[in-house]
Amino acid sequence: MKTLRYMGRAMGLLLRSAMQYRASFLMQTLSQAVMTGGELLAVEVLLGRFTRLGQWSGPEVLFFFGVMQCVFALVEFVGRGVSTFATYVGSGEFDTLLVRPRNLLVQVFCTRLDPRRLGGILVGLSALALAAAGQPLAWCWGKALLLVASCLGTTLLLVGLFLIEATVSFFSVKSIEMVNVLTYGGRTACQYPVDIYPTPLRLLFTFVAPFALCMHLPVSWVLDKPLWGASYWAALMAPLAGAVFFGIMVRVWYWGVRHYRSTGS
Amino acid sequence: MAYMEAEDLTRFFLRKKRVKEGGFRRWVARERETVKALDHASFQVEAGELVGLIGPNGAGKSTTVKLLTGILTPTEGACRVAGRVPWAERKQHVRELGVVFGQRTQLWWDVPIADSFDLLREIYDRPRNDWAERLRQISAALELEPLLRTPLRQLSLGQRMRAEVCGSLLHRPRLLFLDEPTIGLDAVSKLALRSFLKEENRREGTTILLTTHDMEDMLALCSRVLVLGHGKLLYDGALQELLRRYDTVHTLRCTFAGEVTLPPPPPGCVLRRDGDAVEVDYPPAQVPTGDMLDWVRRAGPLREMTLKEQNVDQLIARMYQELAL
Repeated sequence: MKTLRYMGRAMGLLLRSAMQYRASFLMQTLSQAVMTGGELLAVEVLLGRFTRLGQWSGPEVLFFFGVMQCVFALVEFVGRGVSTFATYVGSGEFDTLLVRPRNLLVQVFCTRLDPRRLGGILVGLSALALAAAGQPLAWCWGKALLLVASCLGTTLLLVGLFLIEATVSFFSVKSIEMVNVLTYGGRTACQYPVDIYPTPLRLLFTFVAPFALCMHLPVSWVLDKPLWGASYWAALMAPLAGAVFFGIMVRVWYWGVRHYRSTGS
Repeated sequence: MAYMEAEDLTRFFLRKKRVKEGGFRRWVARERETVKALDHASFQVEAGELVGLIGPNGAGKSTTVKLLTGILTPTEGACRVAGRVPWAERKQHVRELGVVFGQRTQLWWDVPIADSFDLLREIYDRPRNDWAERLRQISAALELEPLLRTPLRQLSLGQRMRAEVCGSLLHRPRLLFLDEPTIGLDAVSKLALRSFLKEENRREGTTILLTTHDMEDMLALCSRVLVLGHGKLLYDGALQELLRRYDTVHTLRCTFAGEVTLPPPPPGCVLRRDGDAVEVDYPPAQVPTGDMLDWVRRAGPLREMTLKEQNVDQLIARMYQELAL
């Protein structure tokens, strides 16, 4: 509770900081709106373009795409502090967080909370709406729960992936871009269902960066075409893989904090 | 057990050695050297003390501060503050800790400093009325009140430093670290900051540890100093004692009424004429100042006399030289 209040206050301060530069604030908000709109148009195009992808119909593919859009908007909203963490370490500003009596990771989130990023959710939601309208889907509370679990699990998974890069930055000032293959690459690749890929990629996205478990499995259940014939409970539990992945990466990151070297003087 | 203890406190850094020649070798070479930023330093500080950390650039001052604040973990040895290991019990430790980095701001750059202080209250989770009371008290002492609604980025260096000090003390820390707090401040701001820190130490009993290159800071604030060089603790004791040890020359400057013939000065003295005035350098450890006064009186009718101690900066420079830093 106190943590949420702290995050809210920190977000307010960041917004006010951004608003100090009015022109820039307007431009940023505007450009984000334009980008969001552009992506919406892209969704429209996509809908017409995909007739079939493996066993999936056009609207079904669009549905996966929509979920990933929502997830990435959430990640951009809460996780930018993590994805830009390397600059914090490089400049030694991380010192400041270390001398405050708050959870370190929460403080890292609080360095870059930007609610405007949530605008991206609109793209995702409209993609979902279009996709749902394009196919006969029977809705129930169970499916809604699956969607929520899937979004949360995938968000945690992505933030966890960003944490790898954040941890690497403790050891190498110029952090390697390799992790981006999994984060941004994973995002792009996994907005399509995993079973369209060859086996090595399928294994990668199931056991290393478990997008398949967090997202494709529950979403495929929502579309009444469960991957691997999974049961409802299996589909509901699968996103826990994201939480576990996140938990492990948090541990690894804290281990990295012990090796923080700060900067001279 | 002392309030703050360091035992063989050590921090090494690995630095990649630059390989000068060879195009490809330069990329694959994995030669590394160990930099001993702090090398087996042991000291104790009691609650309520005001201690100065001095030493030339790269001596290990900031590393010491970062180890004691819990920002860095030691390579060897240990430190404890109020019985806690700073990095292991970070949250409890920093709750009672205030830190000011002279080179880096801890407040938010683009918002009025009052807003920064508000968020700090949330972070430290302190009662609202106590916070307001404390803010009133400190901002009055540091003359910050007219600046509270100004964004940090619009403040001058001196104003910003006062804001930083204020922000570091609002939560009533038991221990305050100041890393070069007077860097770049004008004379008035320095004096104001010094007297404020002294008062804070006296009234609240806050333990203060500061690093500085400004010897006037030291003279004004610290009865005790720790001298670091190349990561080693070279001296731990009273500042006056340190000065006495290296303060080997005083200068006496006199003007006389009319022409005088000067008797030979006591051995070890150097005599100079500077226009009408006569200057004598003498070592007070060997020649008591009283003897010098006798000598002056024998010379003739004295019109004016000043006694100059050697500049503290020169002293410290000489000490660094003698210790081969």
